Amino acid sequence: MISALDGSEASYHALLMALVPLLRGFFKRHVRDHADAEDLVQETLTALHIRRSTYDRERGFSAWLFAIARHKMIDHYRKSRQTCSTDALDQILLSDGFEAQSNARMDVDRLLETLPSKQARAIRSTRIDGSSVAEAAESAEIGKSDVKVSVHRGLKALAARVLGTAR
Amino acid sequence: MNTDTLIRSLATNLTPVSRHAVGKRIFAGLTLGSLVTLGLVAGGLGLRADLPRALSGFPFWMKWFYTISMAAGAMVLVARLARPEPVRLRRFWPLALPVGIMAILVAIELAGTPTSRWLEIWLGKTWRTCPWTILGLSIPIFAGLLWAFRRLAPTRLRAAGAAAGLASGACAATLYCLHCPETSAAFLLTWYSLGLGLAATAGALVGERLLGW
Repeated sequence: MISALDGSEASYHALLMALVPLLRGFFKRHVRDHADAEDLVQETLTALHIRRSTYDRERGFSAWLFAIARHKMIDHYRKSRQTCSTDALDQILLSDGFEAQSNARMDVDRLLETLPSKQARAIRSTRIDGSSVAEAAESAEIGKSDVKVSVHRGLKALAARVLGTAR
Repeated sequence: MNTDTLIRSLATNLTPVSRHAVGKRIFAGLTLGSLVTLGLVAGGLGLRADLPRALSGFPFWMKWFYTISMAAGAMVLVARLARPEPVRLRRFWPLALPVGIMAILVAIELAGTPTSRWLEIWLGKTWRTCPWTILGLSIPIFAGLLWAFRRLAPTRLRAAGAAAGLASGACAATLYCLHCPETSAAFLLTWYSLGLGLAATAGALVGERLLGW
């Protein structure tokens, strides 16, 4: 980027080409429509070109690049009138593990489906939603010890399934 | 358009960018706008008749200290908000230091003045028009900054608008000092600050619409 700022067309061309897959990955992860994602890649490249003087040579390049990409994305959401709070969006964009986290959540859901519903419910309320045993017992209308036993048996069954030693 | 074609067209006829391009661009915008405002002050309002004598007195330099230091601080903030990376605005608290210094001067001034004259020095002769004149004079400078921002990349549009408004208000107030005959610190702290506040608020209100990209 620095040699591009000094006027080297070859370095600039190489840099922009290298940025395309990065930006494509970034936008495809957050925008449903792939044509929109490609538009955003082009808009980001154009914006960074017009506003390239704002790159501070002493600072990191990727922070600058993704600040522009993020701005373009928020702008896109605003234009397409999708309701999405920008605060929440920032959170989503900042957490690189967002995709991994959502995959993990889906895995947990799938595993819990394999258990009897009483055990699944007990595990969900005490271990995922964070309720106490007493609250879980009250909402499921069963005894406290029943909840504890269900959680214990359910977790044991899940562990066995994950470790590949299902009975 | 194909992305590869776009990249090729962006990379041809590439003009080098200087290391201080952001600062130069902001300075150019401020200077252009300030020349227009200076014309308005000198041609429209008229310079104060006793300007040569005022230049050797304390009140004039107190006013310039206040407006110029506010302008300098606001420019630093504008330059930072012109870059896209996230900003911690709290680190810019020293911007309020001139206000604190002025408050001390006001306290000293009031302590040395009989209570019966407080209202008189506080309102001066021009308190009704002063803030609005500063707001009006800041418009050309704000326009100059808007031009500068076309090549810059603010991502916090409301904050960038407010900072640009404050900077243009403070520059306008600096030039307005060439006309304004008021001499008291209490007047300056109240009505000039109100003018700067109006300019900053106006900037924040239009920032989202005019600075978007």
